[in-house]
Amino acid sequence: MYAWDFAALKPYWPLIWQGLMITVFYTVITVVTGLVIGLAVGILRTNSPRWVSVPLRLYIEVFRCTPLLVQLVWVYYALPVLIGVDMSPAMACFVALSLYAGSFYAEIFRGGIEAVDKGQWEAGRAIGMRRGRIFRRIVLPQAIQVMIPSFINQTIMQLKNTSLVSVVAVGDLLYQGTVITAASYRPLEVYTTIAVLYFVVLFPLTLVADQVELRMGAHR
Amino acid sequence: MSADGVTLEASNIHKAFGNNHVLKGASLSVARGEVVTLIGASGSGKSTFLRCLNLLEMPQQGELAIGTHRFAFGKGLRAPVDAELAQLRENVGMVFQHFNLFPHMSVLGNLTEGPVQVKGMAQAEARALARDLLAKVGLADKADAYPSRLSGGQKQRVAIARSLAMKPDVMLFDEPTSALDPELVGEVLAVIRSLAAEGMTMVLVTHEMAFAADVSTRVGFMNDGVMAEVGSAEEIIRRPRSERLKAFLSRFHEAK
Repeated sequence: MYAWDFAALKPYWPLIWQGLMITVFYTVITVVTGLVIGLAVGILRTNSPRWVSVPLRLYIEVFRCTPLLVQLVWVYYALPVLIGVDMSPAMACFVALSLYAGSFYAEIFRGGIEAVDKGQWEAGRAIGMRRGRIFRRIVLPQAIQVMIPSFINQTIMQLKNTSLVSVVAVGDLLYQGTVITAASYRPLEVYTTIAVLYFVVLFPLTLVADQVELRMGAHR
Repeated sequence: MSADGVTLEASNIHKAFGNNHVLKGASLSVARGEVVTLIGASGSGKSTFLRCLNLLEMPQQGELAIGTHRFAFGKGLRAPVDAELAQLRENVGMVFQHFNLFPHMSVLGNLTEGPVQVKGMAQAEARALARDLLAKVGLADKADAYPSRLSGGQKQRVAIARSLAMKPDVMLFDEPTSALDPELVGEVLAVIRSLAAEGMTMVLVTHEMAFAADVSTRVGFMNDGVMAEVGSAEEIIRRPRSERLKAFLSRFHEAK
């Protein structure tokens, strides 16, 4: 019978806390840049000539259809060789995670925008609104309602995906976990603790998402 | 506005979707204060023609003049840009078959959106205008409701008020009652009738023949992409002379 001993982790709490902060930090900044990329790419894909939309499609599919782990390693080791610019592990993680998130968000934005009835564009045009304003005032608010569930889902995945930054030795929660395991010989306690921490961060996010969805959908 | 009182002049409008040549040189001229109803079989091009009047559809050939806005279409001619189209549409309201209200805005928000965003009207002024218009279409108590809470007839009355909030010179109606339950048609027609009585210049596409006969100063019969016959309601609907017009109208009488 295995004797659980969570008390053995006590000396390592500062390290765990630090790892958690890194995880949350990478999630927040790459969700923000991913959203900016995704919004821009998503809009351009719904309404552009082929020479714009085809390369964007290629970007999306490359990042959606290859493992993030490979992307991280590739951006860190291979990209510097190709373009001759050295990147810190932190920068490489930021770039890879942002582009990865951007490719998924782009598809969510595109889907949301295309789900809005064509009649909404026409109604905006019929009262003399110009294209940009119709998009901002009429189409995007409705598209966002449609997008919320997929958006939350993707953001949850993004937080979990940051665990992969440990491969290039960025000290996120999982990386600290492996370090602590090596020092304490308590892998079960360490990984259980890490799982609980991920859950404690993400579960409230899903509850917030439910509330937002309820409130925004109230007028449907 | 030209001296002869013509406020809308569409000449020789052509429009094709791929190989489907929907409009083959349709023309119409409407004087200020007129109510012109377009009738015709489905596929005759009447809705497409109406949508060419505010350039939701871009004609491939022809000319359009509404008030001071003038456009010519054809090979080698510059297509109007977004800003020019927006200016035209400020003056030309349109009511759609499927209402197309903005579902994420209250009824009041639907009405104030155009005046505030397009014309730069102050919120308070736009709200006062919106409340007046809602009272006029009989929905003063629905200002704060959202479109999803309204019946079809109420939605269409809100849509009419939304167009009126822009104070257009001309109103276009694209089958405004076709999507409504029969018992809700009357309330919408009553609003349109009151606009006609006020002298609003209107072009309507409708299948409500009795209403068309009643409210129109003139009726246009569209057939195969052209304005085949134009005349008074008396001439076109009550005493049709051509065989194809008789044949078209007889289908309505049978249905009644």
